[in-house]
Amino acid sequence: MNEKFSFKKGHRSRAIFLICAYSFLVIFMCGMLIPILKVFVDSVDPSASGVMRIWPEKFDIGAYTQILGTEGLYRPFLVSLGTTIVGTIVGLLLTTLAAYVIIQKDMPGNRLFVNMILFTMLFSGGLIPTYLTVSYLGLMNNYIAVIVPVTLTAYNIILMKSFFQTIPSALYEAAKLDGCSPIGIFWRIVLPLSKPALASIGLFIAVAMWNDFMHFQLYIQDPMLKNFQLKVRELVLNDAAVGTSLSTVNGDMLKSAVIIVVMAPFLMVYPFIQKYFQKGVTIGGVKE
Amino acid sequence: MAQITSASVVKENTKTNKKSLKTRIYEYRYFYLMFFPVFLAFLVFHYIPMVGISIAFFDWGLFGINEFVGFDNFATLFQSTAFIRAFGNTLTISVANLILNMICTVGLALLIDELTGLNFKKLTQTVIYMPHFLSWVVVASVFALILSPQDGMVNKVIELFGGKPIYFLADTNWWTPIWLFISRWKDTGWGTIIIIAALSGVDPSMHEAAVIDGATRLQRVLRITLPTIKNTILVVFVLELAKVLNLFDSIWVFQNAMVLDKADVLQTYVYRVGVEGSDYGLATAAGLFKSVIAVILVLGTNKISKKVNGEGII
Repeated sequence: MNEKFSFKKGHRSRAIFLICAYSFLVIFMCGMLIPILKVFVDSVDPSASGVMRIWPEKFDIGAYTQILGTEGLYRPFLVSLGTTIVGTIVGLLLTTLAAYVIIQKDMPGNRLFVNMILFTMLFSGGLIPTYLTVSYLGLMNNYIAVIVPVTLTAYNIILMKSFFQTIPSALYEAAKLDGCSPIGIFWRIVLPLSKPALASIGLFIAVAMWNDFMHFQLYIQDPMLKNFQLKVRELVLNDAAVGTSLSTVNGDMLKSAVIIVVMAPFLMVYPFIQKYFQKGVTIGGVKE
Repeated sequence: MAQITSASVVKENTKTNKKSLKTRIYEYRYFYLMFFPVFLAFLVFHYIPMVGISIAFFDWGLFGINEFVGFDNFATLFQSTAFIRAFGNTLTISVANLILNMICTVGLALLIDELTGLNFKKLTQTVIYMPHFLSWVVVASVFALILSPQDGMVNKVIELFGGKPIYFLADTNWWTPIWLFISRWKDTGWGTIIIIAALSGVDPSMHEAAVIDGATRLQRVLRITLPTIKNTILVVFVLELAKVLNLFDSIWVFQNAMVLDKADVLQTYVYRVGVEGSDYGLATAAGLFKSVIAVILVLGTNKISKKVNGEGII
């Protein structure tokens, strides 16, 4: 529908509609961005908190240097970073392996494996039985209990599977005839051809891992092993005192700064990787 | 076409059936090896816990499982005001959230679809997807600062107009609407992706024909666009329905002692009774009750969809 934008008779109601639509969306976007901008301004300008101002008048990085200098604050950040990197690699590996095996239609037990994965989307043991299982298996305070459930999900396996199915099976058969082992086919053919899916699903896994706090809350009891999300919760929502009594900046500034730090790694790359997320949803999201 | 595929399937089946099961298993030995870690992960984190559901039927004493008590834990639950309260809150929040979600998402997607400027469309999509990727801790923290009764921006505006500051997140009257608003703030944009993808599949020639027949834009949206994307909307609805009773981390971060009356949901109840209170039998019973209702909801919707559309979603 390429209609010209004009106020001539006959186009007038359309023009008014478009003006309203654009203004609404601009306001809507401001609603998304202003809260985050405000937190950033509060983190660098000690006088901005409590004032309706969304631009900084001063630029004081005191809160950020304090985060860098306080072990209780930078340590959880490193935990988040480490678990996210390891978790993404482990999660991608397990997800691709699972997807590769469940597309083997002739494999004895294939249906069982597929149903075993699908059933978890419908029903789960629940919070307490899972908690007790982890506890009895001695996985408390072990990052395995956090990384595996967060990064290996039935949903991601299904997404990956639908992508693998778009690879022509003639390629597998040719490689098989040339004497390539199943692991060789997986490593040399399936993975290199699936780079777009690996990027999309890898990013989903990375974000899920970085954002997780419930599994850390449940399974990681040692305060030295907690991640940054829980630290933010403790500082901002539970209003705990900062690990050190030598807080040099005012409380609101530090609170705002930790929120910015936990969002920053994602927000800095988000505009460049946004298209992968969008692709990831539409790979298997729309049923044809 | 269908005949050819079924014929080739039959051919393949007879081919594979010639080999014994043993040789076939041997042929696929590497695949079993590859699946083993995944199998182990699903066993530990999904299937052993499912066996653990049985503790819902036991009384959990100080020294572990004591005795089989049948449905006693469930009887205790339905007499507990805290459980009834949590169940009621879960229903209220879930249903309101689901309805708002469908209306906002479809409305916003239709609006974005009407845009003609491609760059503006891209910018809008980039911005509105963003909050989905922030964790609930971050979202709760940002809003806790903005809605704070002392320094929060919103209360400063209220004071500017001569009102009294409101402690939004600790006021039982405000908590539910504020939570619903924040939930929409976070996920409405993201929800539009699937709808927009479905909208791009609407046949433009149908619209052109309707224009020639003199249909107005609103008529075209109601009679052409919405019926075409009906199935996608239904899929999204069932996917969201599967999530409704699982409200947990999103609620947990906004909870405080002042608003527990409105903000306690089934999962947070299970967490408090089980993890914090160590009453495992009772908490598992509550969790099982929730899971069973969730399964009934999804299977029920699927059945209705089958009747209405002739095809199921799952």
